[in-house]
Amino acid sequence: MKLYEMTASELSGQLKEKKISARELTEAVFARIDETESDIGAYITLNRETALKQADAVDQKRAAGEPLSPLAGIPVGIKDNICTKGMLTTCASRMLENFVPPYNATVMDKLAADDIVITGKLNMDEFAMGSSTETSYFKQTKNPADLTRVPGGSSGGSAAAVAAGEAVLALGSDTGGSIRQPSSFCGVVGLKPTYGSVSRYGLVAFASSLDQIGPIGKSVRDVAMLYSAICGPDKMDATSVRKIYPDFTRSLGKGISGLKLGLPKEYFGLGIDSETKNAVLAAAKLFEQNGAVVKEVSLPSTDYALSAYYIIASAEASSNLARFDGVKYGYRTPQYENLTEMYEKTRSEGFGTEVKRRILLGTFVLSSGYYDAYYKRAKLLQKRIAAEFASAFADCDLLLTPTTPGTAFKLGENTDDPLKMYAGDICTVTVNIAGLPALSIPCGTDSKGLPVGMQLIGAKFSEEQLLNAADWYESAAGLRAE
Amino acid sequence: MDYKDYEVIVGLEVHAELSTESKIYCSCRNKFGVEVNTECCPICMGMPGTLPTLNQKVVEYAVKMGHALNCTIHNVCKQDRKNYFYPDLPKAYQISQFDIPLCEHGYLDVLVEEDGTVREKRIGITRIHIEEDAGKLLHDESFAGSLVDFNRCGVPLIEIVSEPDMRSSAEAKAYLETIKSVLQYLDISDCKMQEGSIRCDVNVSVRKKGETKFGTRCEMKNVNTFSGAMRAIDFEAQRQIAVLEQGGIIEQETRRWDDAKGESIPLRSKEDAQDYRYFPEPDLLTIVLDDAYVENLKRQIPELPNKKTARFMKEYGLTYGDALLLVESPEKSVLFEQAAASKKASPKGICNWILGDITRVMNETGKTIADTKLTPEKLAYLVECIESGKISNTSGKVVFEIILNEDKNIDEIIKEKNLAQISDASALNAIVEEVIKNNQKSIDDYRGGKTNALGFLVGQCMKASKGQGNPAKMKELLLEYIDKQ
Amino acid sequence: MEMEIDIKRLAKLARLKIDESRMAGFEKDMKGIVAMVEHLPEISDSGALIDPSAPMELREDVSESKYRRDELLKNAPQTQAGCVVVPRVVE
Repeated sequence: MKLYEMTASELSGQLKEKKISARELTEAVFARIDETESDIGAYITLNRETALKQADAVDQKRAAGEPLSPLAGIPVGIKDNICTKGMLTTCASRMLENFVPPYNATVMDKLAADDIVITGKLNMDEFAMGSSTETSYFKQTKNPADLTRVPGGSSGGSAAAVAAGEAVLALGSDTGGSIRQPSSFCGVVGLKPTYGSVSRYGLVAFASSLDQIGPIGKSVRDVAMLYSAICGPDKMDATSVRKIYPDFTRSLGKGISGLKLGLPKEYFGLGIDSETKNAVLAAAKLFEQNGAVVKEVSLPSTDYALSAYYIIASAEASSNLARFDGVKYGYRTPQYENLTEMYEKTRSEGFGTEVKRRILLGTFVLSSGYYDAYYKRAKLLQKRIAAEFASAFADCDLLLTPTTPGTAFKLGENTDDPLKMYAGDICTVTVNIAGLPALSIPCGTDSKGLPVGMQLIGAKFSEEQLLNAADWYESAAGLRAE
Repeated sequence: MDYKDYEVIVGLEVHAELSTESKIYCSCRNKFGVEVNTECCPICMGMPGTLPTLNQKVVEYAVKMGHALNCTIHNVCKQDRKNYFYPDLPKAYQISQFDIPLCEHGYLDVLVEEDGTVREKRIGITRIHIEEDAGKLLHDESFAGSLVDFNRCGVPLIEIVSEPDMRSSAEAKAYLETIKSVLQYLDISDCKMQEGSIRCDVNVSVRKKGETKFGTRCEMKNVNTFSGAMRAIDFEAQRQIAVLEQGGIIEQETRRWDDAKGESIPLRSKEDAQDYRYFPEPDLLTIVLDDAYVENLKRQIPELPNKKTARFMKEYGLTYGDALLLVESPEKSVLFEQAAASKKASPKGICNWILGDITRVMNETGKTIADTKLTPEKLAYLVECIESGKISNTSGKVVFEIILNEDKNIDEIIKEKNLAQISDASALNAIVEEVIKNNQKSIDDYRGGKTNALGFLVGQCMKASKGQGNPAKMKELLLEYIDKQ
Repeated sequence: MEMEIDIKRLAKLARLKIDESRMAGFEKDMKGIVAMVEHLPEISDSGALIDPSAPMELREDVSESKYRRDELLKNAPQTQAGCVVVPRVVE
């Protein structure tokens, strides 16, 4: 097995036993990047030189016998909306083409403290708005499973890099499914953590109340490792939840006996591809056969969730993206007569169509006379959706759904129809609206050979249970070599 | 037209910068007058990915102001975004409070001096909320663009909104001055007008007397001083009355006050009113204050200047002017009350010393009372010595200079410097006789009706006594002698 | 009910310039999205949007200076005399 094909947990063991060095591993990953990146297009910025220095530093520390984190020396790619001090952070937008933050996101400080090697910055939909990574200003990322298809989005670069072996692990961000949907499309594991468990400081905001940084990896254990490294309270983020976070790898391997698994019927209805549905139901069967209690539940407000999501997300985005005005940083139009013209031209030239569409929608739902009918109603609906989840979790431990209605679609297939593109988020947005943790894990392939993903949803801060169940499934379904 | 037929309605929005150590949403220093763009960071410059964290002290100060202005404190409240584009607003939204302010429904009693009388007036307080200040735009004639200094971004502000309860510019001035002195008493704002730490927007409307409905109001921005506020109100009231008298109607608009020209000019009409698209700030959670904390802050509120002024007038018989001047400074009013507690010196005498020599020294040296060696007990005793005739007023000033700088006993100073006043007639007779002998002409003048000749004679006696003779006693002896002759 | 959406007004509020040729497209997209929203149920709740169950921890009032001016202005499109430059504005 090639080094780039191995999981972080396997590599961690080999590094610890000094069977391989961090430099060898990092070189292997960059060799893989050299080999496949022209096809995949996962990266916006490569961090090769610094990465090798970081790797050497880890090797030196290890040689000196210093205590190291299990992730020390593991090459990790970073979604390009997470601020990296001294390294370009573009959000895949012309607006931030040359933006080099003078600060690190809190998660980057945490990764640095764990001596993680940063491979580079990964492609995404512009400002994380999209489900295919096709709205990136810079490049098109392709799905490693089928180069004619999208990797999903918005963390398409992250999922594609992990699937292709161009990074051992990756960080993505998830506002409405942006970690889980590309993980599902690319056949990897992605966790959207409980809102407030990972600091958002330094994550360029799309929708502040929904955004969350999370890990993408080849296995559940890998995801648990990276999540353990990035979670935790942060004084710089008022929405981060102050509590004690365990080492999530320790919660794995506890079995699923007595696990109550709910299948929300609304997630298996209209619009869900039958192959996807069958793959998820087969997984449910496997759980049931092995001692879990599986039952149907109902989340009646699901139908409204997509609307509520687009209102809330666009409203917050319209405000969050107002700061990109050509004054302090980022793109400024070369020709202007006055301030208003500078603003309008800068923002019109700096943002792509999808971003403008959402800014307009967000501006509309917040504008005088429409606020109550749209924004406020959506926020009240959000409460109702959260309450429905809470009552579902009174009866079950976890919920199981498809991650996406279908498998990866063709490049360019949905770009002309924003509504169709948005409809693909139907299974994932509710989780963000309710602030819950959810994980996407592969559960087979469809007749085209494309990965199908299923989504496990837990109550707030139930990541231990969520990861344990996913880890069990991964093993029981024969998805990994034991 | 007749202004007397009209009533002026004034409401004020006061923005006061709070004197916290750090800014409201980041840990930059909250400091005025530093080199441009040196007190900022990625957060207050609105860089991508940065997040606000609310300064606890800002909430504390705002709650204190709420208590001082008799407000209901909303223990559970939130912050909202006010969205608009301007180069001095780096995030393109201001974090403020919209529908649930920290404090609401209060009032402030102010003393209004008008036409020589002083009356108390209650002004309603609509709300007090917390928000962040914007940066500053600098313009230079030699340069075509504008420069942006972000230092002021994130300086904490409270906005105090009054009810439209004021009926004249004098009432507005009294309100503004009282707000300022309350801020000073609570020690929550520097209140430096020249640094813009208090700014206000003025809402003015007029109506015919007897009308119960309010007229259409205009808002005036850029009012930087209290006297400017008075001028702006008077100008605007007259402008509106003139419009109405000519059969016109008042358009609701925002106007800009130009204090140099003494006029307001239209800035934008109601139609151009900005749509701020307020919504709850998603980067911050709910502000939840427990009752004990809020109550504890209430207990920390000192007697406020408006109440203290009224009490000083009543309790100590001071004039409104004197009481106001004492109360203006918490330090002076404390010194006054502690000195007056001796009951041996007159409050008026103590007040005169504080407003006279003590204020002069403070102004000249920039020192506070605490910086000197002066104590309330010594001040009281000094005034007592003068009032009882133990020392002269002139000697009193000598003693004062010493006790300011040295921790010395007043009686010892009097003894050491030989300042004790001689009031004993037997000791003074010789001096008086000597002066009479040498100044026969002045005595004749006095007898001839030149009354100021007596002053000259007393002066000569003082000189002869080397300043120690009691002038009143010597005057008495002089008159006795003149009568006798 | 077909609802009118004034894209021009929204664009002005958001400081965006939308090409005339693109206007119809945006309007169509927006109407589709608005229609999706239209079927949201009525929810009777007149209260403010506030969640007391999630109280916020406040920051201690302590200051620190961590950034140099040149670092902070490094990304600015135009600077002069330690300031960011914008077209002249007077209010």
